[in-house]
Amino acid sequence: QVLPQRSSGSSILVSPRQKGNPVLASLRSLPWEYSDIPADYGLGLTTCALFLSLKYHRLHPEYIYTRIRNLQGKYNLRILLTMVDIPNHEDPLRELSKTSLVNNVTIILCWSAAEAARYLELYKSYEHANFGAIKGQQATSYAEKLVEFVTVPRGINKADAISLVSAFGSLKNAINGDPEQVSMIAGWGEKKVKRWCSVVEEPFRVQH
Amino acid sequence: MSVNNAPQPVKLSLPLEYQQHLFQELRAEDELVVIAKGLGLMRLVNNLLHSYDAAGNNLIIIVGAEDRENGWIGEALAEHAAISMAPKARGLTVVNTDFTSVGAREKMYAKGGIYSITSRILVVDLLTGLLNPESITGVVVLHADKVVATSLEAFILRVYRQKNKTGFLKAFSDNPDPFAIGFSPLATMLRNMFLRKASLWPRFHVTVAGSLEGKKKAEVIELEVPMTDAMKDIQTAIMECVEVSIQELKKGNSGLEMEDWNLDSALLKNFDVMVRRQLDPNWHRVSWKTKQIVSDLTVLRGLLHSLLTFDSVSFLQHLDTIHAAHSPQPGSTRQNQSPWLFLDAAHTIFTTAKQRVYASKAKATAESSIDSLRPVLEEQPKWSLLAEILEEIDRDLYFEPVMKDDSNGTILIMCSDTSTCRQLRDYLQTMYVQPKTDEESKRDKDEPRQSGAFMMRRKLRNYLNWKREFANVNNALFSENQKALENAVDPRIARGNYKGKAPANKRRRARGGGTTGAGPGRNANGSVAQYFEKPAEVVDLMDEIRITEEESKQKEDIIADPLEDMDDYFELYEMQDLVVVHAYEGDQDEHVLEEIRPRYIIMYEPDASFIRHVEVYRSSHNDRNVRVYFMFYGGSVEEQRYLASVRREKDCFMKLIKERASMSVVMTVDAHGVEDPQEAFLRTVNTRIAGGGRLAATAQPPRVVVDVREFRSSLPSLLHGRNIEIVPCMLTVGDYVLSPNICVERKSISDLISSFKDGRLYNQAETMFQHYKNPMLLIEFDQNKSFTLEPFADLSGNLRSVDPSAESPSDLQSKIVLLTLAFPRLRIVWSSSPYQTAEIFEGLKAQQDEPDPLAAVRAGLDPRDASRAEDAPHQAFNLEPHDMLAAAPGVTPQNLKNITLETENVREVANMAESELEPLVGREAARKIHGFFNRNLIDVDGY
Repeated sequence: QVLPQRSSGSSILVSPRQKGNPVLASLRSLPWEYSDIPADYGLGLTTCALFLSLKYHRLHPEYIYTRIRNLQGKYNLRILLTMVDIPNHEDPLRELSKTSLVNNVTIILCWSAAEAARYLELYKSYEHANFGAIKGQQATSYAEKLVEFVTVPRGINKADAISLVSAFGSLKNAINGDPEQVSMIAGWGEKKVKRWCSVVEEPFRVQH
Repeated sequence: MSVNNAPQPVKLSLPLEYQQHLFQELRAEDELVVIAKGLGLMRLVNNLLHSYDAAGNNLIIIVGAEDRENGWIGEALAEHAAISMAPKARGLTVVNTDFTSVGAREKMYAKGGIYSITSRILVVDLLTGLLNPESITGVVVLHADKVVATSLEAFILRVYRQKNKTGFLKAFSDNPDPFAIGFSPLATMLRNMFLRKASLWPRFHVTVAGSLEGKKKAEVIELEVPMTDAMKDIQTAIMECVEVSIQELKKGNSGLEMEDWNLDSALLKNFDVMVRRQLDPNWHRVSWKTKQIVSDLTVLRGLLHSLLTFDSVSFLQHLDTIHAAHSPQPGSTRQNQSPWLFLDAAHTIFTTAKQRVYASKAKATAESSIDSLRPVLEEQPKWSLLAEILEEIDRDLYFEPVMKDDSNGTILIMCSDTSTCRQLRDYLQTMYVQPKTDEESKRDKDEPRQSGAFMMRRKLRNYLNWKREFANVNNALFSENQKALENAVDPRIARGNYKGKAPANKRRRARGGGTTGAGPGRNANGSVAQYFEKPAEVVDLMDEIRITEEESKQKEDIIADPLEDMDDYFELYEMQDLVVVHAYEGDQDEHVLEEIRPRYIIMYEPDASFIRHVEVYRSSHNDRNVRVYFMFYGGSVEEQRYLASVRREKDCFMKLIKERASMSVVMTVDAHGVEDPQEAFLRTVNTRIAGGGRLAATAQPPRVVVDVREFRSSLPSLLHGRNIEIVPCMLTVGDYVLSPNICVERKSISDLISSFKDGRLYNQAETMFQHYKNPMLLIEFDQNKSFTLEPFADLSGNLRSVDPSAESPSDLQSKIVLLTLAFPRLRIVWSSSPYQTAEIFEGLKAQQDEPDPLAAVRAGLDPRDASRAEDAPHQAFNLEPHDMLAAAPGVTPQNLKNITLETENVREVANMAESELEPLVGREAARKIHGFFNRNLIDVDGY
């Protein structure tokens, strides 16, 4: 099997401490290699992750603080990848939330080794990604936008949106339609009619 | 009336014994009243409120009233005040978002009277001290069944009871269902409301039964109507679709328990709700397909109902719409077709529904051409029965004139909703109008037979017109899909196109077999073809339509003149009597009965509470005779639903009575203030006074600034329960401000998904970083949802799933990853429930300074807005119109504010010209917005 040329930056760096962690077995989509780093996983130049199992944390609550201290503020984004593997997770999680604020780490929860591995892979592969995906608004078709608009009031569904617009011909007419007309449409019961007609008339902000 | 404890003489309208009994009980002490539907809950509330209103000089708050209930209460109070001539009565004031300036509200509260206040406003006013809890004389809670521990109403009552131990508190509910779910529900509910006594009034209560059954009972005639064969076929086919959908669900979700699943239980139960409830704990983890199927189930159940209520043409129209709405989105690789649409049963639904309206059998006898379509227009079986009943009543009146009594002799027809109302009104008006073709047959009989033919023909014409437009709309909306589908290499589609382009005579031949000809072809392609043949289907349909339309147009001229006589036919009824068609409206039915005073009541659809209303009405008036006709379709959803609802109510009351007998009473209103056990469980004494330097800060009570919009969630209530002072403000940045540095954006899982999708979260995080040092994102799971994000799907070893170049990462995890990469200093707080969040907040706040509400409000506002913000720190915005506008293309979070400041409502924006919009949002956005609202979907390419 021919492996892709391994440049130093393309693989996940794993600290030898992690040897035996089942997460490593699940790291399959991206290459990884052992490296002597202060964190558990190096996920890029400015990103690192510490792995914490809550089961371990319960036995050795001081461990994670030592590890965080040893990072010495080296990375910009410091993930505390926490595996929730105990049922009464409330207390430790509350404490970790507080810690994250004080010690400048970001908590990511996962519930299985496979999920943990996936997070690591995602961090590595998104190292240079742009943020378009979460900035929202991919171009969508007119129909989708239309349905989205009409279905904002509670209780109005997709079929209602289509029947409304098809009865009136255009959205503007639908907005100007009076309740009597709207209630003629099949599927539009009293509640929906009332909700639709009141929402288009409702003032945006309360007048003084 | 003997019932009167008030100092002011008041006249009450409670003629029956149980009503008087209950009223006295309520005047004497605080309690929760659970009463069976139809026994006159609103009448009781109105009388009670009136007795306080007449006394004057008090401040009474109504919590949880719906809009229409506000209307009834207002009317009833005014009426009562007029009858008992109480000079001090002030009637009801409704406070909702339409009418709320802070100053005006303060003045109003000072005046006193009876107020019905929206919970969200009320809680803010109580917390800000605008409405001093100590000044309240009493609180009346409607829909008490909704007061669960985390609800806003429970929060309100807690604030009220904390400061005010003497005011009265009376809670009402006519829905026993929620009281029978969970562990000791009644005791929990009473605790939430700080009440000690529950008063239960089922229909089988001795006093109630005595009052209703003692005197002459109303005469009831039950009529079971059989469904037509076509209706039965459709119902069976729908059930089959339901069954397959549920099996599909089981396959994908092993935890689903549907053991008791069979066709009967599907008729009986709200199966979609049941399924949804079972999946709810894992709703954020289930696959896309599961969600689709669950929503399909809702659609299918809706179909079961509309099969019975809609006429055949409307039903077909409804089906068309559903079909169009479930068409796949363009460019998606997933199989987003609803599974039930692939079934043979679905095919049966569509074709049978079509055959109820028109068939394509060749009929040489008709003057129309050989292979034309023939309208069938099946009528609802109930219609003719209704006509028969009316005739019978007519005969009755003629042959044996009734003795004089107080009834009006009116015939009242009750049905489930306004659209059925309209349908029946239509039918009654036109049932003696005959289409010309039936003339010969009509002459045979001595009197004209009633039929809905005229109405149905008119409906069909409208439908065909609509259908033509709808095809355009469908094209306009989904043309992308069509193109995408056509591009796909699919022999079936190619054939469809060929059909569409075929010369007219060829098409004619293809149509020779009509729908039956098209049917087998579809079947031969397998069930999948149902949808994909759409282009061909549309062309075919368009053809069929044109022909039937021409045909019916010919007749239109003939039909036109009988239409003018319509008034005469209607007059016929008016001379003898009045026929009133009305829809069930809960407690308002009582008024309908009182005002109309009918002698005959026809219940077009069964309704348990209305039967009781009739009983109450009959017993209240000695001298009014009533005969009730009661119709239902045999073996239908309708019948089952009615029986089930009666049974369930009885069971719930039995459970409640049992629980009340063995309930341990908690003394809730004690000297130490309110002790909610749930709250006590959560409360831990804040012992963190560490270090001498903290003294100054701890002198203040802990405080959290909360955005007023957040009061929809239960978190503010829980924070308040932990002795944290809640300062409601209109925040621009963040939802909760815990300290001058810490600002929290709260997202439930569903919020999180949607705010990632529209990019809201990214913007919110951006603005939080502009104003606060330590912004946090709180990911809050629901109390009863599973605390995990892990999807059921296998995620290991799939290289594509982590590929950054993929179009858009679809799963939540990858978006969270992107967010943290974009904002490395954004802290994420994970909380398994709102209870947990409250504790986390408390921990985060410890050793921090208290936040400044004014600074929190100012953050994120323009300097010019800031001054305005100070005047109205909790100004109310209406959220839904906002959200709607935000969904329109061209509207961005930045210009949204401009638009909402300058315009009144959505309607105004929709009607604005491009040039008017331009100064608000700029040219490009104005063009988009204008285009969005004005795009004409019917005349796109002109026909």
